[in-house]
Amino acid sequence: MSNRIYNVLFHTHTISGLVISVALFVIFFAGSISFFRDDIVNWERQQPIVNNTQMDVDFDTMMDSIAASTPLYGRDITLSQIHQERRVMVSITPSKDTTAEEAAQARAFFYQDPATQKSYSYFQDITLGEFIYRLHFFAQIPYPYGYTLAGIVAFFFLFAIVTGVIVHWKKIISNFYLFRPRAKLKTVWTDAHTALGLIGLPFQFIYAVTGATLIIGSTIMLSTATSFFYDGNSQAMYKDLSTDVAALPFTNNPMTFKGSFNNMIAEAESQWEDVYANKVVIQNYGDANMQVAVDVKPINKKQFSGLGQVAFKASNGQIVFKRTPYGETPYIASVQDFLIKLHYGNFGGYALKVIYFFFGIITCFVIISGVLIWVEARDKKSNTVFKRKANKWVASIFLAISLSMYPVTVISFLAIKLFKNVNDPAPHLFIYKVYFLSWLVLSVLFSIKKNNYFTNKWCLISGSILGFMVPIANGIVTGDWLWTTFNEQQIQIFVVDAFWLITSIVTLIICFKLKPGKNKTATATESTTKKDKPKKQFKSKVKAKAV
Amino acid sequence: MPANKKYLNPSFHQRFAKITAGFIGGFLITSLLFLIFALLTDHVAILITLKFAGFIVWCTLMILPFLFENGWKAWAFYFIALLVLGATFYFLKSTSPELLSAL
Repeated sequence: MSNRIYNVLFHTHTISGLVISVALFVIFFAGSISFFRDDIVNWERQQPIVNNTQMDVDFDTMMDSIAASTPLYGRDITLSQIHQERRVMVSITPSKDTTAEEAAQARAFFYQDPATQKSYSYFQDITLGEFIYRLHFFAQIPYPYGYTLAGIVAFFFLFAIVTGVIVHWKKIISNFYLFRPRAKLKTVWTDAHTALGLIGLPFQFIYAVTGATLIIGSTIMLSTATSFFYDGNSQAMYKDLSTDVAALPFTNNPMTFKGSFNNMIAEAESQWEDVYANKVVIQNYGDANMQVAVDVKPINKKQFSGLGQVAFKASNGQIVFKRTPYGETPYIASVQDFLIKLHYGNFGGYALKVIYFFFGIITCFVIISGVLIWVEARDKKSNTVFKRKANKWVASIFLAISLSMYPVTVISFLAIKLFKNVNDPAPHLFIYKVYFLSWLVLSVLFSIKKNNYFTNKWCLISGSILGFMVPIANGIVTGDWLWTTFNEQQIQIFVVDAFWLITSIVTLIICFKLKPGKNKTATATESTTKKDKPKKQFKSKVKAKAV
Repeated sequence: MPANKKYLNPSFHQRFAKITAGFIGGFLITSLLFLIFALLTDHVAILITLKFAGFIVWCTLMILPFLFENGWKAWAFYFIALLVLGATFYFLKSTSPELLSAL
């Protein structure tokens, strides 16, 4: 690689990384916590469920109660529990009966609690877990801008990863073993950035690709396919790319359904060993050609990806379509499975989630150290004083916004436990206020203080102390102390409390290990005195290797 | 360590050319490449591949223009590639109705 290309690619790595830094940090920090989304939701609602009991629901009673409040004739109803939580997602298409009443002409989406048969609109259902999960792809910014922004950030992240690897390629082995904690700050950041970047490389590559695909794969990457291949008919494309069992034609011949959904689901699950129902689609509800399609999946230990399907003709309960999950999985189905499982990290229990969480935090550190390298490397005499000050200021703002996410997240956990009104019809407004306002206040305060050491230390300390209070607050408010939830096997509630306890201890230890003043003075003195000499050495080294 | 400035081209229109060539041109080339294959073989498999692998191809095509000293030259290459791919796609799609009827 010529010197020119090396430097040009280096520059693209720097710029692409800097441009997305804050957004990427938010994505990775919120995303890492989202690994425990379902636990947080159940912790907040105090509704622990036994693991792997998704879709163990009395669907007959549930459908009766939905049918009592919603006109269903001629509509397709999809029932699924994509998360480990009690409520079932219900999604209903417009009726195929063109004379249907107005309420049946539009799509409907809500959550149904099978224990109480209450239904909740999307916003009524929002919890802190869902909020943090949606923050990780900027869903709070109106659609489609938030999603697109998150997708573009993921794509630029991929660009930064690839250019980073190219630039780093020649020294990838030797630099991996290089750690000089006593050297000047820039060297520390560089060593950390390259070593942790290399350790996290496969993880980060997977997340960049799966993340971009999940969020803008259909809207942007397939946009040309929609307009040129399908001549703008996006319905035709989604039909092609869907793995749902094709519906029977709608006859508009009403017929009362007398069978049992529960029996059909049980029958579908009994067709193969070690499978569980994943999704139920009821097509042409109440029509002579009503069909119930049950998707079943093999448990993770048995097979990573697989799609079994059983479709019943509702009028006589006969099986009209059957696909084995252990045979050859359709390519589209396995692509979807792989993307989602790799991104959600939900195929290996809590152990895997903890590892994924750890890697997510490592990536947060890689992002921060990248920005800090950028500042330190430009903090030299050849730059004007104004420029150096401006760079430092940018870095302080970046650190203030990113690091304050830790205490802000803890504050919102405490607020949700202590002050949330269960009957609030719009719980999202409360969460928005707590999270975004405290984030704004802390970011502004730390930005004004403009001291990175101070920001880091106080974010960690306040996060730790408040984090200790999360299990205590939960114990006082609900009586679910760590030991009771553990003894009663309410694992999800236990996981959230234990998570905050362990995280608080770890961050507090890190905080005490921070050598007070040393880093700070090092920054101060280095920027003025011993900057020149090591700089030159490094440059010549780069040149020598690059040639 | 920051990239040595003597190798970087500071002019705005050069940077603009390289970035747009990679971002817009790269995206269109990626799409067309997959769409042509979609016309020729199993379109469902190709399109679902485009959905995830497209990002990797697009990323590669976004890096390439930076290897050129003149960004407009990169655009020229990309433009030619786009013309060729676009013409191929148009030709295949309009002259082979039997391919489309299989949809």
